[in-house]
Amino acid sequence: MLNLDGLKGLLNFHWLAGVPLVAAQAAFLVLFVIIAMLVLSIPTVHIHEGLERPRWWHNLKLWAWGVLLMIFVTYCLF
Amino acid sequence: MLSGIDYVVVIAYLVGIMALGLYFARFVRSADDFFLSGRSLPFWAIGMSIVVSDIGAMDFVAVSGQAYRYGIAVGNFDWLGSVPAMLLAAFVFVPYFWKAGLYTIPEYLGRRYNDGVRTVASLTWIVFFAFDLGVIFWATGVMLETLMGWPVWLSILLTVVVVGLYTYFGGLIADVMTDVVQMIIMFVGGAAVVFLGLHHVGGWDGLVEKITALGQGYENHFKLIQPTDTKTPYPWTGILFGLTFVMANAYMIGNQAIAQRCLAARSVWDAKASMITGAFFKMFIPVLILFPGLIAVAAHPGLEDGDQAMPTLIRSLLPPGLSGLLFAAFLASLMSNVSSILTSTVTLWTKDIYERFIRKEASDRHYLVVGRCATLALLVFGVITAPVSDFFPGIYVAVQTFLSFFQGPVFSVLLLGIFWRRATAWGGFVGLVGGIATSGVLFVFQASLFTIEDPFLYVSWWSFVVGLLLTVVVSLATKPHPAERLAGLVYGWERPPTGGRCEGVTC
Repeated sequence: MLNLDGLKGLLNFHWLAGVPLVAAQAAFLVLFVIIAMLVLSIPTVHIHEGLERPRWWHNLKLWAWGVLLMIFVTYCLF
Repeated sequence: MLSGIDYVVVIAYLVGIMALGLYFARFVRSADDFFLSGRSLPFWAIGMSIVVSDIGAMDFVAVSGQAYRYGIAVGNFDWLGSVPAMLLAAFVFVPYFWKAGLYTIPEYLGRRYNDGVRTVASLTWIVFFAFDLGVIFWATGVMLETLMGWPVWLSILLTVVVVGLYTYFGGLIADVMTDVVQMIIMFVGGAAVVFLGLHHVGGWDGLVEKITALGQGYENHFKLIQPTDTKTPYPWTGILFGLTFVMANAYMIGNQAIAQRCLAARSVWDAKASMITGAFFKMFIPVLILFPGLIAVAAHPGLEDGDQAMPTLIRSLLPPGLSGLLFAAFLASLMSNVSSILTSTVTLWTKDIYERFIRKEASDRHYLVVGRCATLALLVFGVITAPVSDFFPGIYVAVQTFLSFFQGPVFSVLLLGIFWRRATAWGGFVGLVGGIATSGVLFVFQASLFTIEDPFLYVSWWSFVVGLLLTVVVSLATKPHPAERLAGLVYGWERPPTGGRCEGVTC
């Protein structure tokens, strides 16, 4: 016999209901930080791939960090 | 309702956008030019095009309506639903797709798995886009009639003529370059409503004060993160698992309408930069389409239908001239939406179906003609099916829900395809079909399985998980692909392994 309540609990993430909202918000902020770290770890040779004469502003890591900063601040504020 | 000066603005916009689109048609001389702009597009044009292709005219009303009801939590769809996924696409997926010289995303699935996976994915997108076109025509036409008093068929026929002409002759380059102007018009028109609205309610402080003063029911209107037991469709678990991890990635990476623009970039750097540029502009979209809903809460509390938020603001705020500009912004969103559907669908049809199964070794000129004929056929199909929507009131939502059915499974096979060398053709096929079937089952039994309203975020997450598991299990039970076949298709496997360092695909 299928335990429908157990299945509903699983599908609806009731097992995460005890997580405080502050911790959930922190999880999103941590996600942005992790992405920022992953971006930082990309070798520069891959970042400038396809450019003949790369300049400092071609560094896509800086672009990505700028966007991540914007979303980080947004999720801190709200 | 539009005044004389508004009509001048709208007509100037229509003539200008058609002239611009037709100007770029002069650069189309081959099928490659038509489908991928001869791989010549700069990052800024692609980035702007990605943003505007993703926003339909309906979003102005629907998102502001959701914001009126639920607050800024709806903004998650443009912030969390775009930025992380676009960065993942920029640094991981797009360079591989671009370097592989692809025309379509199903083409990658075909090379990585087999023709079965490619065909299922391609046909699913073609069917979705084809029906979506008629639904978008009708829904937007009805909306513009309600908002501006513009007859439904006039909106549809104007869009068909303007977009049809420049897409038929100009293909992707006309689509992308007109999108640049469409985005500017959309931003200016949307910003005008927000600026006037904020001024009307006493600025940001006045907005917060007025909404907070409304008391119970509005205490979460300025919270992006909603609890798991929220009555809104946006619990944080759904936002994190369904939206951030699955739907956003599936949309930004697996959606032909988005990815095709990156494939047309003039260099791999431009392809990556276009996604990050798009992410930057995406950060401002909620301000344009969500804030009007919040402003309406402060200015006109107690509306029975949240979707009346935007129309009410337009009637109460906009002076003559600006109404025309906003109407042009709506038309810009519609046209951009339609042209991106046209270019991506005809590319899927020509490259994945026609060239693969109907006529394999035809001339370049032949495929260009096929692409153009498919554009016309699709437009006619869209116009014919548009009024059908009138008989099915829930069809707009139904078609959008259908999208969430296959996004999770498609992303699961894309993810394993690029990150797991052991994923096999049968694994990908069973994962894709099994995942889509799971979505269908969850949708049918949603009332008894889910506790939140409209659980599409959870459906896409669980169908993704099932697609992932099925692909892994079946792949492990079937014969791995030879190593040389995976070169350039799997992350970290740029060239076939040499020197005995790695003998097989399982290493």
